[in-house]
Amino acid sequence: MTWDGISFEDRMETVEFRVGERPHIVVDSDICRSCTTKACVTACPANLFAPTSDGGILFNYEQCFECGTCYQVCDSDGALSWTYPDGGHGVVFRSG
Amino acid sequence: MTYDVIVVGAGPAGSSAALMAARAGLSVVLLERGPYPGSKNVYGGVVYGRVLDDVLPGWWEEVPVQRWVTRRSTMVLTGTQALTVDFRSGAWGQAPYNGCTTLRSDFDGWLAGKAVEAGAQLVTSTVATGLIREAGRVVGVRTDRPDGDLRATVVIAADGVNSLLAKELGLLPKTDPKHLTLGVKEVLSLPKDVIDERFGVRGEEGVDVEILGCTRGIAGGGFVYTNRDTLSVGVVVSVDGLAKSEVRPEQLVADLKAHPAIAPWVQGAEVKEYSAHLIPEGGYDHLPQLHAPGFLLTGDAAGLCLAAGIWLEGVNFAIGSGLAAGRAAAAHVLGGAELSSYRKDLESSFVLQDHKRLRKAPALVLSDRVQQRYPQLIADLVEGLFTVTNPTAKPGAISLLRGAAKRNGVKLRHLAADGLAGGRTFR
Amino acid sequence: MGGLVVALLRCTDLRAEVDPLSGAITREPRTAALSASDAAALEHALRIGSAWGARVLAISLGGPEVEGPLREALALGAEVLRVATHQSYLEELVADEQALARALVTALAGELPDLVLCADRSADRGTGALPAFVAHELGVAQAPGLVSLELASLDGGETELLAERRLDYGRRERMRVPLPAVCSVEGAGVRLRRASLPASLAASGATIPVVDAALVPSAVRVVQARPARPRPRHLPAPTGTSRERLLALTGALLSHEPPVVVGPVDAPEAADALLEFLVHHGYLSRAPSGWAVT
Repeated sequence: MTWDGISFEDRMETVEFRVGERPHIVVDSDICRSCTTKACVTACPANLFAPTSDGGILFNYEQCFECGTCYQVCDSDGALSWTYPDGGHGVVFRSG
Repeated sequence: MTYDVIVVGAGPAGSSAALMAARAGLSVVLLERGPYPGSKNVYGGVVYGRVLDDVLPGWWEEVPVQRWVTRRSTMVLTGTQALTVDFRSGAWGQAPYNGCTTLRSDFDGWLAGKAVEAGAQLVTSTVATGLIREAGRVVGVRTDRPDGDLRATVVIAADGVNSLLAKELGLLPKTDPKHLTLGVKEVLSLPKDVIDERFGVRGEEGVDVEILGCTRGIAGGGFVYTNRDTLSVGVVVSVDGLAKSEVRPEQLVADLKAHPAIAPWVQGAEVKEYSAHLIPEGGYDHLPQLHAPGFLLTGDAAGLCLAAGIWLEGVNFAIGSGLAAGRAAAAHVLGGAELSSYRKDLESSFVLQDHKRLRKAPALVLSDRVQQRYPQLIADLVEGLFTVTNPTAKPGAISLLRGAAKRNGVKLRHLAADGLAGGRTFR
Repeated sequence: MGGLVVALLRCTDLRAEVDPLSGAITREPRTAALSASDAAALEHALRIGSAWGARVLAISLGGPEVEGPLREALALGAEVLRVATHQSYLEELVADEQALARALVTALAGELPDLVLCADRSADRGTGALPAFVAHELGVAQAPGLVSLELASLDGGETELLAERRLDYGRRERMRVPLPAVCSVEGAGVRLRRASLPASLAASGATIPVVDAALVPSAVRVVQARPARPRPRHLPAPTGTSRERLLALTGALLSHEPPVVVGPVDAPEAADALLEFLVHHGYLSRAPSGWAVT
């Protein structure tokens, strides 16, 4: 591992999120329990998917880039329901 | 009230479409889900504005530029080696210019402003949640605002790579990890004079560096672009490869920043913003159907992003396709022309001609040999050529090539075949 | 009952960039938005305005960047007004809340609102004094720091305004607010409603009315500000015999390094010196290589 000079929390702290009330991505942890790859855990650039001890997935929608990587890598049909946050909410990039 | 055209997404494609439709005298609504245009958008860093010459003459006088790219480098990296092909042109540093680095919140806002000046109505903070369809034809969109249904003769979906509208119509597959790449970017802040010094540029001159072989064998590449007082540094990797590799995306950026050829550029820089976005890289062979009754697909939503090795362009294709969509919508509303004229228009313009010519490029550039073997092979070959072996006499170039190919598990016939394929692809 | 409800809104970049070395603040005009408290103030104004059948007027002081949030207020059915001023004077106004209150009240052009709503304190560098100054300028009552604000029906179709605010130790205070009044609210309990699409479309092209801020310097002016000084830290008294206590207090037998004056140096050198000091005294285990300041 290369030390990148910044902790992940500090890295995410550089991004503005206007958090909406409604979770725009919902994970069905019951389906995740049967998933062997759990590609979302490593692929999500915002590191929002955390495996739980019972084999499920804990998901935090608040710091989501809305990029779509999670549902593209997800093998399990129906595990992820993916929409955009309500208008005006979610990530706000300033230097995209 | 029914509008002539609804454009979903105020990125470069959507704003260009809205601009053309509004200029033709149509009533146009431009919907944006972010609080301002560009707030949801991320790209590498360079806009090639030639496509705007006819539409916005003298655009370079007012575009919110960071730096004009006057120096382009293509780098091949291995663990400790780096080979760079570096080109500079004075012509790129003066009007009418070639490419510029700019931030999307600036650029997209500027272009959306042009559409508004032409008469389009921009509504921000509004998500188009679905399509209204009647008798097999798209007749409007539903939005997440109260009383949010909006009807129009033509709906132009410029809603980006994840285009939920195109998916609703079945024009795009639900998931497509093989033809998508993930771009992960850090914007690093450094004083302007430090950037000037480290990259050997002055004033408004800027550098565009594209990098092969810095992604731990995952298909993809890296980039460094100079902005005024920031650097954009990042990697672009295949979503499929990333998922299989179990490497975290920000680790790849950290690797790149720590490489001995890159580290001196970014030393002491603070991360100003971290971002990520998907990129459609399927190329011509995986383009979706670009129109349906009452519906046009444009920009990233249509997969119109050129990722062909030495050419990495997206915003100009978004603008080109957006302008064509706006023209097609205007012709349809005013003269009853078929919306299929959009595809024909694109086929005759650079948008699909470039994609067609380079249709084999994505597969070739992302192939295992190009990604995993050739960077080391080329670096070994060059290191062999330039390592002075006294008192042994210099080895011949052919024997060096043989040795490098053998060490990297490449058969010379593969090299010849790929060379031929490359020649055909980029002819 | 008619009348006028005013929402005084501060629209500013909620994530202004602060240069770590110089302390210079960069505000992006494009990300100007209402803070949670300002949004709550507007929502309360809209609720009370519609209950009373009163006009709602949203006022914000600033450049064109405040027009985005004002446009949203317009789409929600409020009248809007931007109070414009020179950038240099704007900085001064924002720092001097009495002058700011006068400028805002003057912008009302003599109309006395029944109710003024604003945020408890502004998101950037507010002291929370503005509501009091506004109440003073208008000569009306003031209810600060509210977490809820409701209209309660009285017999005979009349209504009264009930407010609740947080006190120390988790206590709450319920107040009956006499009118006219200035109420400042926390960003709690309510979320700003969303404007309908037709209203947003109508607002998208509308012109936001602008008045120039009155140049009314306040009587008291800040001529110099000294840096903030943290409070002294209380240390436990040493224990032991009188000799040990004396030694501990005077540090007589402890070796200590005299303070070293470094400088004057420029900011990077100062940062290096600080890092070196921290490493030397064991507060940092090592100097990470990525920390080089250039």
